[in-house]
Amino acid sequence: MRVHEIKIISSGGYVIHVDICRDVNLECVNAMHKLYYTLKKELSSFVKELVSGVTSIALFYDPRRISSDYLTKKIRELWLWSQQIELSEVYKPRRFVIPVSYGGELGPDLKSVASWAGLSEEEVVKLHTSRSYTCYTLGFTPGFLYLGEVEPRIAAPRLETPRVKIPAGSVGIAGKMTGVYGLESPGGWRLIGRTPLTMFDYRRDPPIPVAPGDIVVFKSITLEEFGKLKGLYVGDYVG
Amino acid sequence: MSVITLANLLITYLVGIATVQDLGRQGYRGLGVPVSGVLDVLSASYANALVGNEVSAALIEFTGSITLRADKDLVVAVTGGLPKVYVDQYEVPSWRPIYLKSGKELVVRPSDRGNIHYVAVSGGIECESVLGSKSTYVRGGFGCLGRPLRVGDTLLVPDVNVESLWSRVYSLIPATNPGERVPKRDEVLVLRATKGVHAEQLQDLETLLKSEYVVTLESDRMGYRLDGPPLTSASRLGRLPSIPTDRGYVQVPPDGKPIVLMSDAQTTGGYAVALHVVPPDIGVLAQVRPGHRVRFVEVSVEDAERLTSSYLNEVEKPKLALEESWEY
Repeated sequence: MRVHEIKIISSGGYVIHVDICRDVNLECVNAMHKLYYTLKKELSSFVKELVSGVTSIALFYDPRRISSDYLTKKIRELWLWSQQIELSEVYKPRRFVIPVSYGGELGPDLKSVASWAGLSEEEVVKLHTSRSYTCYTLGFTPGFLYLGEVEPRIAAPRLETPRVKIPAGSVGIAGKMTGVYGLESPGGWRLIGRTPLTMFDYRRDPPIPVAPGDIVVFKSITLEEFGKLKGLYVGDYVG
Repeated sequence: MSVITLANLLITYLVGIATVQDLGRQGYRGLGVPVSGVLDVLSASYANALVGNEVSAALIEFTGSITLRADKDLVVAVTGGLPKVYVDQYEVPSWRPIYLKSGKELVVRPSDRGNIHYVAVSGGIECESVLGSKSTYVRGGFGCLGRPLRVGDTLLVPDVNVESLWSRVYSLIPATNPGERVPKRDEVLVLRATKGVHAEQLQDLETLLKSEYVVTLESDRMGYRLDGPPLTSASRLGRLPSIPTDRGYVQVPPDGKPIVLMSDAQTTGGYAVALHVVPPDIGVLAQVRPGHRVRFVEVSVEDAERLTSSYLNEVEKPKLALEESWEY
């Protein structure tokens, strides 16, 4: 396999930023996950915290224990190594099913996604539930899941004007990514539905069981089922 | 943990914003959970050290003025800038342990040096710990009370042997007063920073390093927004893939005006990051008020590592001395 160059930038005296690639796509994300879990395995005793972005990774280190120079060399070595292996050698992805009530009040943008796509709402739902998505990363707000890749026909762009308040559990589309809002927050993704599950529970540790590299599948449910499942923790739901 | 008797600390007056904070929620950025925690880490560490606490104990962080009434004898310390501190009508020193007798009121008023102040209480504040931290993250509604403090709130403080604690701490002072780091109103604050993640993509980065900026009113625990010459290259970069971010990252949104991220900042961001202010200088930036002038000066990664190392040493073990002539 051809391994491309990565960009490593040190900043602030305690952070190393590793840029895996420029464009967000599944190939880049897979490469990132392999490096992320390799670094986690090999460097966790040196590094205070390891965080993935969508196409990049940040390492927070203690400059009293280790230098940016040393870590940079180490990361370059591990990058080459990590791209020769399968993800399953460093991380066993888990699979989560997320039930979603699509459209209506819970998915106010399903209509606009359908008209953008030139499809019916039912067809949009069918396309959205027909794929297994990879969890690219979590971030932006507590428990927000960045998932991909969305079927190109329904990859509608984000809203021009973000909403100030989006309820927890909202499921949205923004281009080739789909996402789930873990907590109520502002946001600009097109909301096509909502899950009744509690996605983020700060009284649990970890508060959300989904990790980068895990697989997420959406399942369409009725409003009645939505009511019955309301508040169930995502980790306890068996689809 | 054994059963602890709790004494109370009542908030009787507050003009400003007050929350309970500690050193933050470490290890959960990867789940999108902001670190939160005190804005001026050094001041908070000294406050705790002066009352015999671990530096990671929960304490009150506030802007503006506050009055607290003790329901029981407590040892407290006030740090941050150079505030005016009174017990009843009498002025007492900041950056020193204070014996606060039951029923007495502690009054803290800002001076023209400093914006964020800390009150540490012997034993630390007892409240709900979430993901290893009592820091209040107001937007998420969790940590301690999950909201800013209000007049009438009662804070719980574990019972400690105040007499014996006082005999150990009464003469402690900082070896040099960190309150003096806070620049005077007319002094330009110089922030040392390394290049940020996107520095190479911002052709007019020099503008940021050569100009003076002003702290705006739109500054809070998430970030301090600066006004000044915009970086026009930022608007051309458009939306970037979200990258992990941290306190001290100088983000430049499309309008070109820099934002320095603070403790409650989102864990990832899609704006260009021009610079990264070194940790010791973030706490000082937190201490200046809207209208204050700042500028950035570039330092190397090696220098930043050196600065961060000695800063971390001081945060973990504040440099205290004994004040021989100090009589209570």
